[in-house]
Amino acid sequence: MHRRRLITGLLMVSPWLTGFLVLTVYPFLAALYWSFCSYDLLSEPQWVGLRNYRRLLSELVEGGTFAQALTNTAYFAIGSVLLSVVFGVALAVMLSWEVRGRAVYRTLCYLPSVVPTVAAAVLWIWLLDPQQGLVNAALETVNVPPQGWFQSTSAAALPSAWPEDHGGRIFGSKDGLLLMSLWGVGNLLVIYLAAIADIPEQLYEAAELDGAGRLRQFFHVTLPMLTPVIFFNVVMGLIQSVQAFTQIYIVSDGQGDPAGSTLTLSLHLFLSAFKDLDMGYASAMAWVLFLVVMLVTVWLFRTSRHWVHV
Amino acid sequence: MTNDRMMKRSWHLIASLAVSILLLPGCEPTGETGEFEGRDKVVFWHFWGGRDRTVVEDIVARFNASQEEFVVRPIALPGSNLDLKFFLSVAGGDPPDLMNHDDPVVGDWAQRGVLTPLDELATEEELSRLADWVFPAARKLGTYDEQLFALCNGLDIRALYCNKTLLDEHDLPLPKTIADLDRIAETIAPADGASGRRRMGYLPDPRRLWAWGVVFGGSFADLAAKTPDEMVTADEPPVLAALEWMAGYSRRYGPSEVAAFRSGEQALTGSSFPLLADRRYAVMMDGQWRVRDIAEAAASSNGERVDEFIVTPLPAPPGGRTDAGWVNGNFFVVPKQAKQKRGAWEFMKFWIGFADNASVAAEACAAGGWIPVAHQVVDQPAYQQALREQPLLEEFVRLAASPNQMPVPALPVASSYYNQVNQAAQAVLYRGADPEEELRKAADFTRARLREVSDEGK
Repeated sequence: MHRRRLITGLLMVSPWLTGFLVLTVYPFLAALYWSFCSYDLLSEPQWVGLRNYRRLLSELVEGGTFAQALTNTAYFAIGSVLLSVVFGVALAVMLSWEVRGRAVYRTLCYLPSVVPTVAAAVLWIWLLDPQQGLVNAALETVNVPPQGWFQSTSAAALPSAWPEDHGGRIFGSKDGLLLMSLWGVGNLLVIYLAAIADIPEQLYEAAELDGAGRLRQFFHVTLPMLTPVIFFNVVMGLIQSVQAFTQIYIVSDGQGDPAGSTLTLSLHLFLSAFKDLDMGYASAMAWVLFLVVMLVTVWLFRTSRHWVHV
Repeated sequence: MTNDRMMKRSWHLIASLAVSILLLPGCEPTGETGEFEGRDKVVFWHFWGGRDRTVVEDIVARFNASQEEFVVRPIALPGSNLDLKFFLSVAGGDPPDLMNHDDPVVGDWAQRGVLTPLDELATEEELSRLADWVFPAARKLGTYDEQLFALCNGLDIRALYCNKTLLDEHDLPLPKTIADLDRIAETIAPADGASGRRRMGYLPDPRRLWAWGVVFGGSFADLAAKTPDEMVTADEPPVLAALEWMAGYSRRYGPSEVAAFRSGEQALTGSSFPLLADRRYAVMMDGQWRVRDIAEAAASSNGERVDEFIVTPLPAPPGGRTDAGWVNGNFFVVPKQAKQKRGAWEFMKFWIGFADNASVAAEACAAGGWIPVAHQVVDQPAYQQALREQPLLEEFVRLAASPNQMPVPALPVASSYYNQVNQAAQAVLYRGADPEEELRKAADFTRARLREVSDEGK
């Protein structure tokens, strides 16, 4: 009877199990094997040992394409995670206030999250157009010079990437991607709102009795109580931002334009595998990416005991 | 009904469904039915969309009506990932019989043994006749390692579109030399003007280093060289001179200004392309497809006075090449695993007009606004009529016959090489990077890739 139930159970989960083995485990292991091969998709893989990994290392040391893609990915991942936490928490706190029309504000903030990625990317290309975009028009009203956005190789947080003639035009393609990433902050908002609703009211009452104002209550009650959720969102956001592809592919003309300034690892991987027919190199990159994400996640878990309130 | 019986029934249902799904692919009809019953089917993948698709479907219909042995089934795959779909079909062992493409992939694919060389399809007599029949540019586009792997069916030629009315307003002549072009740029958009310019006399596009490099006397590759290091020549002096000249514009206006000005063009698509929209340029380089846009803009002007446009070849510096430029085009390839290669070859010949049907090819080219690949097609009454109706096309057709129109060299890493050179030019124009350094990096990267690919081929 027990054996029969086991077989029935396995058969019941077999559609998922088959999908998992064929679509996840097999590509995962196949990519590991291909990373040690020269493989062009069109002929049999040829074993080349560590050549692909050596190439990645030399590109990293000499500042080649892989180093550029890694820098771009780090910029996007760190920037988008930080911005999503700051904006997500700030918006969630404001939307938790008892004000008239709160439901409408919540809906408005969540609405962009349901717009398909491709449509949103095309919309942002228009919004961030240096000459005719609404964002630059708005900046102009407060005397900020028009920014280059997706046409510029500049990056606001990297002064070394600012063009010599920038004249205040320091925001470039990577910053445009960061702005775009905020478009989906509505998803996080829902989680933060739920977490805020879960914070016991007594904590605020106690803080108020101790004379804490709204700002102190936020830093000493709300924020510590939100840290488990922030931690979850940081880990998930990091993984998602490293894997981000569609929107970057669209705004960068599918090439990481201009001049490779939006060439992230996921895009570089795709182009190497399916345009340059270099699946071995792309697989090695995928594994390096996997290891980097895993190490960062482990590091986050280890440091979490110092800042996550349990 | 007991639980056991119900479960048994469920399992029977699931098993039947699974078997049906597994058997479905085998149920595909193998032969043609209906009007074309008994004919061999040629599966043809192409990327044409919009109004061009109608022209393609018309050619297919004419071919299907012209003989009784084959029937071509066109499958439109518009979008940018035709390559990916093709690779998957090859890996899955079921590629199309024929595919039309326009990226520099012939070298990459031929070297990897994916394509059928045309000498396996055509007779010796046909091949030798074909070599003289098509324009040199069309021959170069299909050749890898001195063997023909692709048959070009349309050329994309670049030239300078000049707004004659705007130039006359500034007493500027048409650009016959590089100095003329610089003067047009400086007169219409002086270097010391305020930033945020809305009009340029001329502004080089980073993607056009492939054209200017050839005009300045470069070739980007020495296909006769023996080693990969000698074969890639992106850092040769003429290409460097071309990029230095282009960089002069970036220095004149500033990289940020150049990048910002180019950006506006993303918002100007279709018939409002940059030359027409608000007279954004006095002179710009573009392909023959813009002739149609200019004609449509004139037709929709409702009697208002419109600017006069003239097409001129790219001016060459002293020691450079005349009537030169970068050419690409549409070409047919037959996968190695294609099932109906003979039918594919017959259709290719029919499309380009090499099957004693030049008039049919001429009508198709006229309808699509395409540049034919042979004089014989150009000379047909239908195409001559198109030239009379669209006189701007004439210069493109003349340039198509020039031996100085060069495609991306047919290397086994051509696709990557093309992008590397474009990225180098973008870094120079949009970031103010050093031209020599960027070209050396692009060349070195390509040499390393070529070495790897060559080693694997041994």
